[in-house]
Amino acid sequence: MDASAPQWLVALEGSGLGAAIRQSVWIYPAANVAHVVAIAAFAGSVVLIDLILLGVVRPAGRATLLQRARRWSMGLFAMVVLSGLVLFIAEASHVALNRVFQLKLGLIALAVLNALVLGSRAETAIAKLTDTEPLPAHASRAAAASLCLWLCVVALGRFIAYV
Amino acid sequence: MTRIALAIAAIAMLAGTAVAHHGWGSYDAKNPVTVAGKVLTSKYENPHVTLTVQGKDKVWTVTLAPTSRMVNRGALAEMVKVGADISAFGYPSTREADEMRAERITVDGKTIEMR
Repeated sequence: MDASAPQWLVALEGSGLGAAIRQSVWIYPAANVAHVVAIAAFAGSVVLIDLILLGVVRPAGRATLLQRARRWSMGLFAMVVLSGLVLFIAEASHVALNRVFQLKLGLIALAVLNALVLGSRAETAIAKLTDTEPLPAHASRAAAASLCLWLCVVALGRFIAYV
Repeated sequence: MTRIALAIAAIAMLAGTAVAHHGWGSYDAKNPVTVAGKVLTSKYENPHVTLTVQGKDKVWTVTLAPTSRMVNRGALAEMVKVGADISAFGYPSTREADEMRAERITVDGKTIEMR
């Protein structure tokens, strides 16, 4: 409680709601995880809007869009890994023993495998189709696995601090 | 190419500020301290369990872990309640006087990691 802050903020923090949030064992961690997962998805949508406005993302066929997006995702993944390595080195002995972190690494391995194998297979198949032909069922499976796995990875990353 | 370079620079700067505003960044890890004494006040709540402890020479504010981590690792509320004896090893704050964040605590004969 910082008494030097504006009164309404002090009142907000000191309210029954503020106390309930702090005193619950699960509410704060749950809100933290939800916040970060929502940000990841939100960022994706905002970046897409802005890249369209900048003319970087232009209308193209399905196969071309996928190929371009795939290149971006690989470069961005490299940045995620590099920055993650910095964080890891600082607390390596603790983080490596954390079960949630271990689970997160396992899911990253599965997600990368899914992208390399099933994702590539889907894109190769789609490259042979015209834009109006239906998508193969295995493309949906690769996509569902990708969404589920990556969102879980983000959630677990935030949850490390709470276990 | 320049677009990618700009993106990397922007994200690196953002990441830097994120590390600075929370976590262990605002604590002096080069000068660890051990605070041992009786718990004077105890707030067993989120985002961090916070105690004040009567140290040898002064009263310290001791920052511990979130409650779910405390419970999961066996550092229950009654073990750090007012009047309990505690020894906390950690680092002093570079921002707040007489505040430290604990790496580990010893209560009831048990040593529990906070990180």
